[in-house]
Amino acid sequence: MDENPQLHSRRTLNLRFDIPISKTQEFWEALKKGKLVSTKCMKCGNVSFPPQADCPKCMGGEFEWVDLGTDATLVTFTHVRVTPASFAANGPYTIAIAELESGLKALAWLEGAEQQSVKPGMKLKVAARDGGEGNPYYVFVPA
Amino acid sequence: MSRVAVVGIGHSRFGKRTDVTLGELAFESIKQAVDDAGVDKGDIGNVVVGSAGGWYEESLPAVVVNEYAGLSGAGTMRVEAACASGSAAVKAAYNSIMSGETDVAMAVGVEKMTEVDTPTSVELIGRAGSYVWEFENYGMTFPAYYALYAVAHMNKFGTTEEDLSRVSVKAHRYGAMNPLAQFQKEITLEKAMGSPVVSWPLKLYDACPLSDGSAAVVLASEELAKKLSDTPIWIKGVGYSSDTANLSRRDDYVGLRAAVSAAAKAYAMAKVAPGDVDVATAHDCFTIAELMAYEDLGFCKKGEAAKMIREGQTEIGGRIPVNLDGGLKAKGHPIGATGVSMAVEITKQLRGEAGKHQAPIRNGVGLVHNIGGTGHYAYVTVLSRD
Ligand SMILES: [Zn+2]
Repeated sequence: MDENPQLHSRRTLNLRFDIPISKTQEFWEALKKGKLVSTKCMKCGNVSFPPQADCPKCMGGEFEWVDLGTDATLVTFTHVRVTPASFAANGPYTIAIAELESGLKALAWLEGAEQQSVKPGMKLKVAARDGGEGNPYYVFVPA
Repeated sequence: MSRVAVVGIGHSRFGKRTDVTLGELAFESIKQAVDDAGVDKGDIGNVVVGSAGGWYEESLPAVVVNEYAGLSGAGTMRVEAACASGSAAVKAAYNSIMSGETDVAMAVGVEKMTEVDTPTSVELIGRAGSYVWEFENYGMTFPAYYALYAVAHMNKFGTTEEDLSRVSVKAHRYGAMNPLAQFQKEITLEKAMGSPVVSWPLKLYDACPLSDGSAAVVLASEELAKKLSDTPIWIKGVGYSSDTANLSRRDDYVGLRAAVSAAAKAYAMAKVAPGDVDVATAHDCFTIAELMAYEDLGFCKKGEAAKMIREGQTEIGGRIPVNLDGGLKAKGHPIGATGVSMAVEITKQLRGEAGKHQAPIRNGVGLVHNIGGTGHYAYVTVLSRD
């Protein structure tokens, strides 16, 4: 296939990002306690998910944290077989988008469900997981 | 209002191109386009390079491409609109003529995706959304994004996995007629249906390949275009729009809002209706994407795309032939090159130069539908013989 001569570069690039989370820290702290919270704009009342300190609707900068609950309904999903390089150790996983009680939607892994049983409309719960190094993340599980 | 026309086109062979560097690959298209236009390359006032980048060694593709082709000195920039970078380049080049800055501009699309290993390419495209909320913890992939749409479309409208495979069979049938395509072999429905699952319900044959390739178009002002070409192809309408980075912020998963909006703008500007379109390219990075495009472009009613593909309405002889160059699926999808490649294909079709895969041209109207990411960016361009 590669019968053409190549210069195999000696200089490699290893990218790892330090991503600021100071403005959404309450979200991550609440998640460690199993709660899903997000930002509600004090000016126009718009609730955003994912959380953001600045309102994308009115551009207002004052907000309060509100509890989004843990009940959700599956909207759509996929079973991922071919994973990215950095997920090589994970094996196949199911990704779902589900609607929360507030009507906002979230994307996460769906864990603990038989593949054949996964259908739009199925009832789910949000659950917290430990991603290591003190970083939590959320998943869906069957209700 | 003055007009802008495509007066020169160039297109490289798509595929795994271990024989050329980025500059050499872009040059293949630039040389053809400049010769086809019959312009002096020194007269090109603006060279816009569409390239997503990240998988090849150069950080400044525009200047590298221009240096190789002896175009240094021209105004230039690299534009990024993910898989619609090529159409964004065409639009930026078009704008520079419409504004009166220059009489001749060139859009070059180029990508080399195979200089890194495949898992790294998969990783880079998987990050084409909202990193923290979709990739860091969940490992989204490009097929996974579109699979979420496929499941929703199947659930709502009864579209089947076979319908998806039919799009792939059509792509390969026309790809077999395109000597520049990455895959030039027909496939059967059984072969597509039996291919390994990448991200259910999408299989290997529902997905475009990783590709290297380039394409270029030379654009000219109305006065100059009429002098340079007997068959200038006019850019009659350009519509563009965008959508949220996070898929969870979309209303639904059965169509692309940005594409609907871009199409409405392009039709209005060109003063044409979907029924006037003789031939189109639709962004089939995945088979579901082509089906949604039929609906988003108004080629059929919402939910009836599966019927269109089953009835052969988007083949030669059908109502609106789509992707007669093999589409992204068979022709290949070098990300930044794709939008320019689509403009090249529609220009060929409207000139009557498409050879074996020529569509019948009645109204002289062709359409380019080019999507970046998962409906993150959308560009629709209407081209016309008059
Ligand atoms: Zn607000």
